[in-house]
Amino acid sequence: MLPLTSLLLDAAQNTASKLPEINIMPEHIDMGGGFQIGVSVFVGWGVTLLLLIVLLLLYKRTKSFTERPKGLQRYMELIVGGIYNWSRSKVGEQADRVAPVVLTLMSYVAAATLIEMFGFPPATDDLSCTLALGLSTFVLVNVTALRTLGLKQRLKRMSSPNAIVFPIKLLTDCVAPFSMALRLFANVLVGGIVMKLVYAVVPVVLPAILSAYFNIIEAAIQTFVFGLLSLNYINEAIE
Amino acid sequence: MEIGLIALGAAIAALTGFGAALGMSRATSTAVESIARQPEASGKISSSLMFGLIMMETTAIYGLFVSILLIFVLPGYIK
Repeated sequence: MLPLTSLLLDAAQNTASKLPEINIMPEHIDMGGGFQIGVSVFVGWGVTLLLLIVLLLLYKRTKSFTERPKGLQRYMELIVGGIYNWSRSKVGEQADRVAPVVLTLMSYVAAATLIEMFGFPPATDDLSCTLALGLSTFVLVNVTALRTLGLKQRLKRMSSPNAIVFPIKLLTDCVAPFSMALRLFANVLVGGIVMKLVYAVVPVVLPAILSAYFNIIEAAIQTFVFGLLSLNYINEAIE
Repeated sequence: MEIGLIALGAAIAALTGFGAALGMSRATSTAVESIARQPEASGKISSSLMFGLIMMETTAIYGLFVSILLIFVLPGYIK
């Protein structure tokens, strides 16, 4: 056997014995009396508070905004205007109602995933959190559709071209929130598992490079995907 | 013995990647072709390509999720 191969095998055997404990079940904090609250719930509250504080500060700053944007105002107009334009291109007239909700959902997803950078477990690492986000999208889709079309028209469109497709379309609509929830959850979970394994095998340098992808770019992609999917489902429901 | 079977099951579940990769490659190659033919429609093509890619990626993620469940959750129930 070549010396390099035996060296690699030795390294593999050494690391295999100290692989990290990976637990994919959500962790709970005991509140006493058999009452448990998930860690992700606490992190979710923290993220909500953080977002509220940041947005209140930003809201105060909007009072001093001028006709000609500069500094902070430029970035805020870029983000808010960008989301409005994006939703206008997807859902048309309903954009003014839909865009604020979509931006809220997206900022929550981004904040709850990026909180991992500060050493907290990400809130989106728990299926219950992502399922709540998915159900919010479901409510958003159906409220928008009922508002635009009305119940009769919506049922009519769901059973076109004929009544046979109605159950299929109903199932597609009802599965959508679970699909979004599972997608976000699995992406965050897998990123965490990969990072834990990398830390166990190579504890220096490499995790820093990979973490840029698995923690930052992955979060950005998932945020974008969440917004895109919400807008697409709304578009499908009202078109 | 059971560990081996679990590993086999997880490996089979991860094979969903085949389908996702085939679908994604087809979609991307067709999109690139149509952008080359009609560069002015590239915005619309790439946005619908993105949606399709996300949908295809979902199948791969489900497979990955099933194999993760098999590896990390199932052994706890067997004992």
